[in-house]
Amino acid sequence: MQTENADAMKQHFTSVENSMNHSGEGNGAKGHCKSPKEHLVQIGGPDVPAYWKSMEELENGPRYKGEFPGGLPSADARQETTRRDFLAAMGFTLAAAGLAGCRAPVQNAIPLLVGSDEIIPGVANFYATTCRGCASSCSLLVKQRDGRPIKIEGNAESTIFGGGTCATGQATVLSLYDDERLHGPLWHGKPASWQEIDQHIADTLRASEGSKREIVLLSGTTNSPSTRRIITEWQKRYPNFRHVEYDAVSLSAMRAANAQSFGRAVVPHYAFDKARVIVGLEADFLGTWLSPVEFARQYAANRKPEGVPALHVQFESGMSVTGSNADVRVAVPPSQLGLVVVALLRRIARKAGTPPVAGTQDPIEAKKLDAVADELWKHRGESLVVSGSNDISIQLVVNALNSALGNIGKTIDLVQPSMQRSGDDAAMADLVAKLQRGEVHTLMMHGVNPAYDYPEPEQFLAGLEKVALSISFSDRRDETSSHAHVICPDHHFLEAWGDAEPVESHFSLAQPLIAPLFETRAAQESLLKWVGHGETDYYNYLREFWSTDIFPRQKETKNFDAFWERSLQDGVVAVPPRPTGAMPKDIMQKFQADGKAAVDKIFSEAAAHGSTTGDHFEVHCYETVALRDGRHANNPWLQELPDPITKVTWGNYAAIAPSVAKKLNLSDGDVVKLTAGKRQLELPVFIQPGQDTRTIAVALGYGRSQVGRAGQNVGVNAYPLTSIQGEYRRYFAGNATFEKTGRTEKIGTTQTHFSMEGRPIVLETSLEELHKAAEPEEETVPTLWTERLHGEHAWGMAIDMNSCTGCSACVVACQAENNVPVVGKDQIERIRIMHWIRIDRYYSGTEEEPVSVHQPMMCQHCQNAPCETVCPVLATTTSSEGLNQQVYNRCIGTRYCANNCPYKVRRFNWYNYTENPQFDFNMESPLGRMVLNPDVAVRSRGVMEKCSLCVQRIQLAKNTALQGERELADGEIQTACQQSCPTQAIVFGDLKDPNSRVSQMQRNQRRYKVLDELGTRPNVSYLKKVRNPLETA
Amino acid sequence: MSTTSIRVNGKAPAAPAVGAGIQTPVLAPPVWVDENPSLRDITDDIARPLEARPGKGWYICFGIAFAALLNLGGMVSYLFAKGIGIWGLNNSVGWAFDITNFVFWVGIGHAGTLISAILLLFRQQWRTSINRSAEAMTIFAVMCAGLFPAIHMGRPWDAFFIFPYFPNQRGPLWVNFRSPLVWDVFAISTYLTISLVFWYLGMIPDLATLRDRALGGIKKFAFRLLSLGWNGSQRTWARYEIVSLVLAGLATPLVLSVHSIVSMDFATSLLPGWHTTIFPPYFVAGAIYSGFGMVLTLLIITRSTMNLQRYITLRHLDKMAKVTMLTGMIVSYAYLTEFFAAWYGGNLYERYHFINRATGPYAWCFYLMVLCNVVTPQLLWTKKARTNVTFLFIVSIMVNIGMWFERFVIIVVSLHRAFLPSGWGMFYPTIFDIGILVGSFGLFFTCFLLFIRVLPMIAMWEIKGVVGHGAHKMALSSDEEEVTVNA
Repeated sequence: MQTENADAMKQHFTSVENSMNHSGEGNGAKGHCKSPKEHLVQIGGPDVPAYWKSMEELENGPRYKGEFPGGLPSADARQETTRRDFLAAMGFTLAAAGLAGCRAPVQNAIPLLVGSDEIIPGVANFYATTCRGCASSCSLLVKQRDGRPIKIEGNAESTIFGGGTCATGQATVLSLYDDERLHGPLWHGKPASWQEIDQHIADTLRASEGSKREIVLLSGTTNSPSTRRIITEWQKRYPNFRHVEYDAVSLSAMRAANAQSFGRAVVPHYAFDKARVIVGLEADFLGTWLSPVEFARQYAANRKPEGVPALHVQFESGMSVTGSNADVRVAVPPSQLGLVVVALLRRIARKAGTPPVAGTQDPIEAKKLDAVADELWKHRGESLVVSGSNDISIQLVVNALNSALGNIGKTIDLVQPSMQRSGDDAAMADLVAKLQRGEVHTLMMHGVNPAYDYPEPEQFLAGLEKVALSISFSDRRDETSSHAHVICPDHHFLEAWGDAEPVESHFSLAQPLIAPLFETRAAQESLLKWVGHGETDYYNYLREFWSTDIFPRQKETKNFDAFWERSLQDGVVAVPPRPTGAMPKDIMQKFQADGKAAVDKIFSEAAAHGSTTGDHFEVHCYETVALRDGRHANNPWLQELPDPITKVTWGNYAAIAPSVAKKLNLSDGDVVKLTAGKRQLELPVFIQPGQDTRTIAVALGYGRSQVGRAGQNVGVNAYPLTSIQGEYRRYFAGNATFEKTGRTEKIGTTQTHFSMEGRPIVLETSLEELHKAAEPEEETVPTLWTERLHGEHAWGMAIDMNSCTGCSACVVACQAENNVPVVGKDQIERIRIMHWIRIDRYYSGTEEEPVSVHQPMMCQHCQNAPCETVCPVLATTTSSEGLNQQVYNRCIGTRYCANNCPYKVRRFNWYNYTENPQFDFNMESPLGRMVLNPDVAVRSRGVMEKCSLCVQRIQLAKNTALQGERELADGEIQTACQQSCPTQAIVFGDLKDPNSRVSQMQRNQRRYKVLDELGTRPNVSYLKKVRNPLETA
Repeated sequence: MSTTSIRVNGKAPAAPAVGAGIQTPVLAPPVWVDENPSLRDITDDIARPLEARPGKGWYICFGIAFAALLNLGGMVSYLFAKGIGIWGLNNSVGWAFDITNFVFWVGIGHAGTLISAILLLFRQQWRTSINRSAEAMTIFAVMCAGLFPAIHMGRPWDAFFIFPYFPNQRGPLWVNFRSPLVWDVFAISTYLTISLVFWYLGMIPDLATLRDRALGGIKKFAFRLLSLGWNGSQRTWARYEIVSLVLAGLATPLVLSVHSIVSMDFATSLLPGWHTTIFPPYFVAGAIYSGFGMVLTLLIITRSTMNLQRYITLRHLDKMAKVTMLTGMIVSYAYLTEFFAAWYGGNLYERYHFINRATGPYAWCFYLMVLCNVVTPQLLWTKKARTNVTFLFIVSIMVNIGMWFERFVIIVVSLHRAFLPSGWGMFYPTIFDIGILVGSFGLFFTCFLLFIRVLPMIAMWEIKGVVGHGAHKMALSSDEEEVTVNA
């Protein structure tokens, strides 16, 4: 299906363009006007064979020529013109003349004159592409309905990402329909044509030739091999050209550490699924770090309680998604993190009998460190230590530790490294210096926003003033692009061709899902044009590149067209790795750096921060699951996504430990002035259990001053708190103080109570108990209701809470699939969020060391539904297939059902959230509404809504099966939440089929139903969370 | 019955000469009106507000009430235009002021029928001074109550969906007979119908009197129309009294059923704090308590502003205070029982709910409710308190406040912390919540003030039976007949 699509789509769009051109012309020009691209039109082309009806016709041509066979009936016998005829003729002439003067107004509707057999109205197509939400480059399958991409799903063909997505990836489809995107290129802030701009840029570039001043392309991590090839074209053409990669949140130190340790400046490819012991050090690998979708999948697969679950120990300052899933989580301030690694290395060195490591101090309880070291040592070669720190000393010691444990080449792959982060802090700092010295002639900026996220944006902007030409490829006027001379807006990735190489030799292709909505142009095309390359069409260039560079590396097919089409259809291709050249594998496993120096450095650094006591704190800056580095700030779905840990939406805050709050008499929402060095921020306080007592955590990505209506000035920009220390960016600040301002600010949180109050809501079990116990005792609650007889199916769901990491991809997936409106901060404060699925997060244990659980909660589809009996108008009923269904037309909005729902999963439309200026989010703008799923009704005000278990997907699959005259197969229907889940924690299926996965899960020893004792008989089951704590005897 | 009010004629009724058959002991006619007015005086006194121009006090009251009513109109229009998001409701608390007001007003509406029907059947003659206005109060309170279910809907324009209507064009759609909200529709509409009929029927002889007094014009025409050709003949009176009795019999179960059914909105649900079998009797007692509270409030105001002290005497107030005290104590007992059941039942959720009720963020509402509904009735033990008008007025206001908060506590406190702690949240009222509550009082008082201007607020014909004129006997309400029959 997808094979021809790439071409067909392109053709389709061209034909649409053509027909649009014709539609205005009138007078039937279609037949004559020969468009140069007309050969592309497949159907109804000029080569239709002429059929003949008889021999006579074949010889003499058609019997009748002209419009009327047999001629017109003879005109009136009287040839004279009567008064009536005259008036009639005059009337006609006048009318005709008048009408000819009026042009039919050009409508926005696009006439589809030439239909495509690919596009059937009402039937969705899926195309494989590559996500550009961040540099992780996950493989996607995008649902296109009636020419519009409306839903992003993971591509199960990918061996790396395996069909899951993250919340950000799910939301990128909405960014496509962001009406704050530029509608065309800007020259000095004014709209201009591409030709003019190309001309200007060509002139300027020509002028730079021979000059010593550099031409610089500043981009984010660029792992598109074809784009990298274009960059080499520039290097060939302009000797003064330089490419600088800059990540707002970078792994620069790790790359440098690997260069020193193993001779390769790469980010390794980690295998969390091969590790029996995972030690994370300030690395939120399940939430935001490097490649969370991939890691979450590996992690969950590795922690199935049915086997032997891997042990996970996390050392971090703020509570992250990863920390909330760890078996052991230890709060450590960022400056003391290095000491933890050194302490672990010292213990491992002692066990291994290698030269002892300096120092004796343990930053945390020695018992814990002993236990962790024991576990690591026990699982040598099957363990993994990862650190998200951007401190090269820490990364070097981590490398030494992994090397001592023999993990290199086992759980850490340097031969086929990850290409997902390649920003270089030193190069960026160097660029800023050069800019300030006026050594840069032309600066091209792609996918970066240093005026917002560079620690010293003033310096960058001052330097930017000095370039002869600054070009931004940004899709909007942002903090940086508004200072650029030219903005050449790049396509959204769903409009563009492209490729990516997230992991060495694992390629993935991107294809457009829609013709560009605006007058944007692929950045690659611009770069090809300006460099004067012969091929300026990026699609042709890409195809050419693949035929010369990637096609020869595979052996499966000899035909490039077939290879191309299959790659496009699958979206992913893996080829044998590149030869490592002079770097043999075994050398790469030996730690070659100066570990001792690094240890000493760590000691001195830690000592420098050691004075952080009393009123002084460290500030830890982190990315959130929703906004990441801030580039998605104008996406209302992401702004409204509750943080997996704090459940806060629309803004950031200073997370402080409960004991600190008590000591300083602070409560949630008190605005404090945070001073770190010369930087000051004012932001509200949020009390976070598990937060390190010496650290304040502040999220990055907020406080955008120029991004669009939704994200403008939401929260506070924390990037100024980061700094450049030596060659690396540091994401924490020491010696920070804060004082109360006396103001309070409301924090829009969706869950205000975090204790389960001893209620049996999330049930846990231990590994021993699980292996000991046999079948769970069957306990049926007596009921007054008659047994409900199911029809052909009984739909149900099972959620494995041991797999759920709380990453919240399902929440955005559900929002996209089910047209769930965005309501804004004010409504969230009023507890009126509309999400159909929420992830409840509860803490147990102490405030200092809380144990967290994540519980996805949606309509439980009770068989004895409390909502159903109380509705006065039968607007909610249970279907014969076990679905609790809400009938919007019938609902009068008494809210009785919501009051009686023990799970509180019903959502009421307090206002009209569509086409209401009060809610100026995506459903207010006509462009934003293009993301709506036509299969799901948009709800009006005053009606109740809730999870339908994606009834539209069930219906579609049933119809497809019916048309194919076959039985529905298990797994054929995937709900949106299930599809997006990277850990496959959610399983949907038919409970009537005893062999379906959901039935098997509902028979699992761990299964239980929430609030089952009420007799609601939900069709959704949960599998207990299994605790496997590390014994620290 | 207050002993001072019974004047015994002839021999003591305690020792009837059984079997003697000669001397029938006759009870004195009951006297519930002070100063021994003549029958004409009574008619004049009661018809005066209808025939004279109202005083300044009435205009001030009406002005305030009407302003509140206009406010209600404006706010409800805005509500319809924008949606109920303008209220402070949220995903956790789906009902708050709306249904609190509904239950409150339905409760207020209970005193009227109780006084007219049950006290009629129990032959409590003191009801004659207050039954008319209490019934009017009932009607207006039920009107206010009926407003809230209609406006609390998300889509009020589809409110007719909750009536079983046939034929309908929506196919075989029917209401959900399992839903207590549908029962409410039946209960409230039945109650309103019966109350209206009862009230109107009770007024017919008085309307005829007013017809006869009217000088002409529209007034005369209207009263003629409304009095249905009443001629005061023996036959008319005989039939009239039978109909009254039958209607009283029909209305009596309604007094108990309406609030029982309203309570089932809560009792049949799952929610801790709502899911309680004690609710029907508890709600009925509470309704009578609040109803009498409101009757006291209204009558204390009207008796002084309309100079009706001789008809609504301190003895009447004393009687009402006693009923208030009794029902208040039943309510207090119900509160205790709830707490006991929560503790004794051992249900985790219910136990938490009651601890939260007394110690949670809405604890102040709970303690206000306890103060008004448990402590206040205890102040009525002494006769001195029960006959002190100012004190009684304060008590009656406390009762009204307490009963409003009782419903608020039941509804909001139960909802705001239900089963899953993740779904917990607070309710804070907005200006529209408060404005519409105030507006409903505006509607109520506007109606009541108009009522006392255009209709006789005391049943003239009934009160004439209890003024102590021996000649006048009442078949229904005197104790004498019973004795005679026995003899």
